[in-house]
Amino acid sequence: MRRTALTTVLAASLAATGALAQDAYVVGLTGALTGPAAATYAPVIEAMRAYVDHVNGKGGVNGRQIRLIVADNQGEPSKAAADAKKLLAQDKVLVLINSSLSSTYAPMIAEAKRAGVPLFYAGAVCPKETYPPADPLQFCSTAFGAQYDSRFAMGFVKERAREAPRVGYAAMAIPISRGEIDYAESLTKQLGMTPVDKEIIPPPTPDYTPFATRLKDANANWVYSWAPWVTQVRTLEALRRLGWKGDYIAYAHIQAEDELERLKDGDLYVFGTNAFFQDTLPVHAEIRAATHRAKLNYPITQLTEGFIAGLVLEAALKGTPWPPTPQKVLASMNNLKVDTKGLRGGPIEWTKDNHFRTRQYYRVYRWDPAKNAIVRVKDWTALDVK
Amino acid sequence: MRGAVAAQPRGNHRRGLSIQLAVNIAVLASIYALIGCGYVLIYRTSRVLNLAHGELMMVAAYLLLATASLFSGHPLAAFAASALLGLVVGAAVYLVLMRKMTGERVLAAVLATVALGILLRGIVVLVWSAQQQYPGQALGWSNPALALPGGARISAAAAALVLTTAAAYAGLFAFLRYTRWGIRMRAAGQNPLLAAQRGIRLHGVYALAWGLSTFTGGLAGMLIALDAGLEQTMVVIGLKAFPAALVGGLDSLVGAIAGALIVAAAEVLLIHYVNPLLADVVPFLVLIAMLLARPWGLFGTREELDRV
Repeated sequence: MRRTALTTVLAASLAATGALAQDAYVVGLTGALTGPAAATYAPVIEAMRAYVDHVNGKGGVNGRQIRLIVADNQGEPSKAAADAKKLLAQDKVLVLINSSLSSTYAPMIAEAKRAGVPLFYAGAVCPKETYPPADPLQFCSTAFGAQYDSRFAMGFVKERAREAPRVGYAAMAIPISRGEIDYAESLTKQLGMTPVDKEIIPPPTPDYTPFATRLKDANANWVYSWAPWVTQVRTLEALRRLGWKGDYIAYAHIQAEDELERLKDGDLYVFGTNAFFQDTLPVHAEIRAATHRAKLNYPITQLTEGFIAGLVLEAALKGTPWPPTPQKVLASMNNLKVDTKGLRGGPIEWTKDNHFRTRQYYRVYRWDPAKNAIVRVKDWTALDVK
Repeated sequence: MRGAVAAQPRGNHRRGLSIQLAVNIAVLASIYALIGCGYVLIYRTSRVLNLAHGELMMVAAYLLLATASLFSGHPLAAFAASALLGLVVGAAVYLVLMRKMTGERVLAAVLATVALGILLRGIVVLVWSAQQQYPGQALGWSNPALALPGGARISAAAAALVLTTAAAYAGLFAFLRYTRWGIRMRAAGQNPLLAAQRGIRLHGVYALAWGLSTFTGGLAGMLIALDAGLEQTMVVIGLKAFPAALVGGLDSLVGAIAGALIVAAAEVLLIHYVNPLLADVVPFLVLIAMLLARPWGLFGTREELDRV
């Protein structure tokens, strides 16, 4: 009798779980929640999860809940491949999301293509395949964009410099960072400035001083860094300890707002595409409330990127009529315009040929020692993505 | 401040650069030597290669965050408490885990350290999250840059690291030579069976070796964290010191210093004069050269070689 009752309860629960899954938009994410790269990706994943909970709390999308399944790949390609296989074959996800290192892309792309399921990069660097003419299955909402970032940064250096810029570069020894710094070096020459030294720094490095010594020795008066935050900021700190007094421009990763306040360095410029919390937009209150409910362990300033990815996912699913299929989601993603509510300089717009965005907007911030606060140095500046 | 980067006269510049490079070598060598002596202490006492040394070093550095809030306003007390906790953690690892490996093949013990490393990495993320942390900020310490003769500069944390390495090695040499427990440790390393027959409690000696290894590794981890912040990649820094210990000879403390100096000098000079990309491969290039010429390392013991 007891066995029969137990079987009935188990069967009922399994049926309920199945029904729940069938009633929900099922989305699968694999990302670096732990491992060496987790500092960059975990806040994005957690913020996205909080946003999905927030949407579900308001009734979901098209009257259905979003079921976000999260797997930790620790930044390892083999784990990402296994996650992708499981999410596609077992969980039958409508969209695969990657929030991890670029080394995890190849196996996930292969799995996504095999299954004909769209692959969405959220907080992970946008591969060239999302730029026009885009690969049919790959999409990206991540703030930073190779080549556009350096185009903006080098233009800013030229505009800002009071004497002829002698530019040094700091990259991390990973393909994406090295490629961007090589591109920036060629742009520097095209813009009539002088590149003086380029440091490709292995991750991680016990002491950044030997690299900083070379940059200082090359007599650079500007240093441009496009790399994970740790490389950008540790190179700067090593340069300052050596007594270097030049200007430093770096990409504003998710840690940038807190770090500007920690460093209090008036000659450090950070440029990026996400508005800082010090701009106090109405949507910032929304992020604060959602993350408070989710009891997230990360500073609120690091959660914008994940929130934007959540906005994009919500919009993509909103354009997907019930019953959903990966093809319907794909059609929705190929014709998407997301209002970022001021978190970016404009909407994120995807078309059939452009899965990155049609315009990329940049802002520049720095610490102002006189005001003892972060100030905006340059407001939204748009670059067309063609 | 813009435009304030000025050129120095050539002679002064070259002299200043040479001194700066020497300082850079001293700092990097100190990092490798302080981490490397942890590998040596455990290996020479118990013949176990501790592949969780990087993780144990990281845990000790994270403990500084915990003690910083306990001893608010007293950075030295927080530092000392964290270092002592590192010693306790190391001894506990031996007593709880590695002791069970007694009598097993060395490979089993090494694999146990690999598993321990994975466990510790998970615990660190659960307790302190994956974020970049700054123990210096928590301690209210700003890590100023110090000016040296010839225009060279060094951060206060890096200077402390060099001095701590010197003090740690002096202390270890004195401990091993003049104290009863130090002599027991040497005896257990040379001939554990004979040492046990003479009444030396091997488990106590091994626990002390693990404790001291984590203590010195923890000192390195804490000082690196005070200099440049703290996150999970510190584990890899722990592994980078391993070639330095091997070059010197895995069972020699003098060798750990020599290996650290050779690897650090090669790394800094090749970064500066050849290509910064070499930084990652230099320690292993030096190691391969040493393995071809003298597989037991500069100061290692020849008969300790074991073919796997």
